[in-house]
Amino acid sequence: MQRASPSPARSYDVASPHRADLAEIFNQDRNSPARHRQILETSRQEHTRIREEAERVLQEARLKEERDRVLEQRRKEEERIKTEQELAAERVRLNELKAKKIEIPPLLPDPEPPKPAPKPTPPAAVPPANKVDEPKPTSVLNGAGPFGSTAPTAQPSSGLFSAKAPPAPTPSPSPPVPAVAPAAKPANSVLGIGGLLNGTSQTNGTAGTTGAVPAAPPVAPTALAVPTIDRYTVIHKNLKGLRKMMAEQAKTNRALKERMGDMRRELRKCIGQLSAGAPGVNRSQQTKITNLLREALANQVQSQLIDPSDYVFEPRQPVEGAARNEPALPSLFIYLLNIFSKGAISQFINEASARPETADPVGVCVAATISEPDFLWRGKSMIDILLAKFRIVCPVLFGYRGSEKTEQGRARLGWWKDSGRWIGEQQHMDRMTGLGAGFAAISLRKFAASKKQNPYPARHYWTAMARIVNTPAVEISNTQCIVLKAMIENYEGKFIDAYGSAAVVALRTALVEFPARAPTKGAAVHSLEVLATLLKKNTGLTLG
Amino acid sequence: MADLASRISKPEEGAAPQVDDPTEGANSVGIVENAYDVEVKLADLQNDAESPLFSVQSFEQLGLPKAINDGLLAMNFKKPSKIQERALPLMISDPPTNMIAQSQSGTGKTAAFVLTCLARVDLAKPQQPQALLLAPSRELARQIQGVVQTIGQFCENLIVQAAIPGEVSRETGVRASIVVGTPGTVMDLIRRRQFDVSQLKLLVIDEADNMLDQQGLGEQCVRVKTLLPKTIQILLFSATFPDNVHRFAQQFAPKANEIKLRHTELTVKGISQMYMDCPDEGKKYDVLCKLYGLMTIGSSVIFVRTRESANEIQRRMEADGHKVSALHGAFEGQNRDALLDDFRSGRSKVLITTNVLARGIDVSSVSMVINYDIPMKGPNAGMPDYETYLHRIGRTGRFGRVGVSISFVYDRRSYEALSDIANHYGIDLVQLSPDDWDLTEKKVQDVIKSSRARPDYAPNALGN
Repeated sequence: MQRASPSPARSYDVASPHRADLAEIFNQDRNSPARHRQILETSRQEHTRIREEAERVLQEARLKEERDRVLEQRRKEEERIKTEQELAAERVRLNELKAKKIEIPPLLPDPEPPKPAPKPTPPAAVPPANKVDEPKPTSVLNGAGPFGSTAPTAQPSSGLFSAKAPPAPTPSPSPPVPAVAPAAKPANSVLGIGGLLNGTSQTNGTAGTTGAVPAAPPVAPTALAVPTIDRYTVIHKNLKGLRKMMAEQAKTNRALKERMGDMRRELRKCIGQLSAGAPGVNRSQQTKITNLLREALANQVQSQLIDPSDYVFEPRQPVEGAARNEPALPSLFIYLLNIFSKGAISQFINEASARPETADPVGVCVAATISEPDFLWRGKSMIDILLAKFRIVCPVLFGYRGSEKTEQGRARLGWWKDSGRWIGEQQHMDRMTGLGAGFAAISLRKFAASKKQNPYPARHYWTAMARIVNTPAVEISNTQCIVLKAMIENYEGKFIDAYGSAAVVALRTALVEFPARAPTKGAAVHSLEVLATLLKKNTGLTLG
Repeated sequence: MADLASRISKPEEGAAPQVDDPTEGANSVGIVENAYDVEVKLADLQNDAESPLFSVQSFEQLGLPKAINDGLLAMNFKKPSKIQERALPLMISDPPTNMIAQSQSGTGKTAAFVLTCLARVDLAKPQQPQALLLAPSRELARQIQGVVQTIGQFCENLIVQAAIPGEVSRETGVRASIVVGTPGTVMDLIRRRQFDVSQLKLLVIDEADNMLDQQGLGEQCVRVKTLLPKTIQILLFSATFPDNVHRFAQQFAPKANEIKLRHTELTVKGISQMYMDCPDEGKKYDVLCKLYGLMTIGSSVIFVRTRESANEIQRRMEADGHKVSALHGAFEGQNRDALLDDFRSGRSKVLITTNVLARGIDVSSVSMVINYDIPMKGPNAGMPDYETYLHRIGRTGRFGRVGVSISFVYDRRSYEALSDIANHYGIDLVQLSPDDWDLTEKKVQDVIKSSRARPDYAPNALGN
């Protein structure tokens, strides 16, 4: 309020006699009663003026506070509504998934129940923090539902590749094979397909159950169309081709050569600069990244135009109202998207591996960039480029399994090789930690408050988790445990936000039942149980 | 951890793991799940017992209580490192024996002595000081305090207190079972009778060479020791132990078990060490900013000689979008804490510092260390400072991760100092040039890749 007192010049004259003119001081009249009264009167007026001014300012400040409060309240309300809408939408999707699951054929004779899916759980121990708008009957959600629905699809996926290292560009025309129920001997339900694809037979499969495969009715075409999943490997290979093509172009196109390297390094630097902190802390990096991609799209350096279809999961038709409908885009743009995705993955591997929490700002940036309306092609995002990389470096997220003790198993699990040698165990587990956290950072983003469309909504997180936890006991690997732990730790809150009590059940399955089923209890398995303890200690969430 | 082993083993032993013919594989040892999947042969890695990160055991096998083991798992520690595996059984066995341990930076020394403290402390007496850990700086003391709290997060009634200026209330004094502090403050507290040392069982000195070597700190340590019970178990830890300090250490901790590495084995092989040939001193700033586009970097530490250049670099880097903490002697106590906390928590990802931090500070996501100025010592800073170089680059490549160090040279003097250091440790430094960034980028990528893969990387560090 001090500053509320204006016109210092005026108050000087009267209120501070010391500073007054010398003439004033030596004036004969200066001690007369009239003079005193005059001065008193002036100061009284000044006092009143200041007081009024102060009151006015106070009043203003109160009004402003009130306005801010109302605004804040409105914002919160809007957020709540958005959250609820989103939740409702997810619920609907969840229900759709559930509805599809019902067609699963009866179980075959089953010596050991490999799947704990139908777990009648009491209404989740801790109600989710958010307001559940349309309260689904929890019992329904808790049932086999979500996991059950995804389980069958997960099954064949491992099968596809159980025989050998991923048969790279096979366009996988394999039938949507399904659900031989939770295979009695897991390795073999798979075998049928594995054999079909690769012609390598696996002797350890028990022939008995194989016959059942064709008999099973195909699963309804859910969103998780596993048989085509290896499309990602094809995309990955196409991206390698693109890199070569860019290098070739740079030889003849000088403008491109001069710009491309700088753009690539600038992108990498910006991704590396992303840091934790208050919202908006990474705004300048985000702007730079978006501008670089825009520049590439504008294509002033005249890079060749290429067909984006080679880099997306499914063929796309022009969509009314989409910003980009043309059959070809500048190759520099696709290339930079590739570099951007690579940068994000590399940041997960190199930084989040040591400190998983650093994945989050990168996830925010990825979601924000990929969803940018200008960067959509035919109405959808180009996130498949990133997913193709995920598929290669962290296959367990996509349902692939294998034994860490065998060459082929390691290849299926995404255990990296450097110059022909497997990288060390610690290094592999570090990578998996970073990638698991990175996957969660991308797939659990909220778009409720945004006009943009979420390029990779939470259902993919759910699917990935389901694929891991539905692994038959004998096939559970440390790699899966590490990925599972990393994708849950620090993200339990966001997961519960998205799925409510269903998420709590999923967490129980992942952190309590899944480790309990694991045949060997190593440190990796044990660390899942420790995470459950940690959640209880830090958040009060009781899963056990 | 085996990856590090792979880098160290000699090429002839480290023949590529055989991808056997499937039929042969079926006949080889212990096939578990699948007759046609071939077992991975890890023998060449597992036999390399010289790797500092090598180990075959689990923490559970070391006989640690479950609460401590859970704390380790929560921190993503899955297996003990070599120093832990070797030193822990000796340190936690009874009767307590002293220990002098030297191991490379980033190999788990801190966890080793923290585990010993946790194993020795009687949690039924939470406010009775039982273990005292001394560190040379408040930053390091706070860091160790943090590690004790994290590993001990499942131990009920565990109280850890930092005995550093401004952290101990004059009214209550020290009330914790584990106390981590700097020698001066600890001595004051004991003298003022605010720190009851009568039941201390364990004294740990981290960065022991530094603590015992320096006049002030060394005397303080000795004085603190005279105030403690005579039966106390003493553990001395450091990455380096020059000979004179080593003799002193043996007097300080009599009849100690010793674990010591030869100095040629000291450079951490996981760190790709390069140098940048700058045209002149003024160009160093620009070159520095360019480095961040060459490879994926988590956090980074830049060592400089003067506060002025620290401030100037900070200004330039912030203009380039980096979030920077500049930490040097101009800041005190809690300001330093705050700056370092920003860096630890990831709010800032670049740390610019004078030598304050060369030792011990562990931020696991540091993937690049830059020697903006080559470390020098002696009169007129005329001698290359080997130890400091080693401690500096040890801020990256923590626990077997891949790290990069880049040293800047720009004139004859800096070039000679760096070659001297390289010769001292027998390191092959790779030259980078700021002329063609496309080429430099490729070279850096190749170096990183080869340091991960080539078993004979830094060959001179072996066999002598």
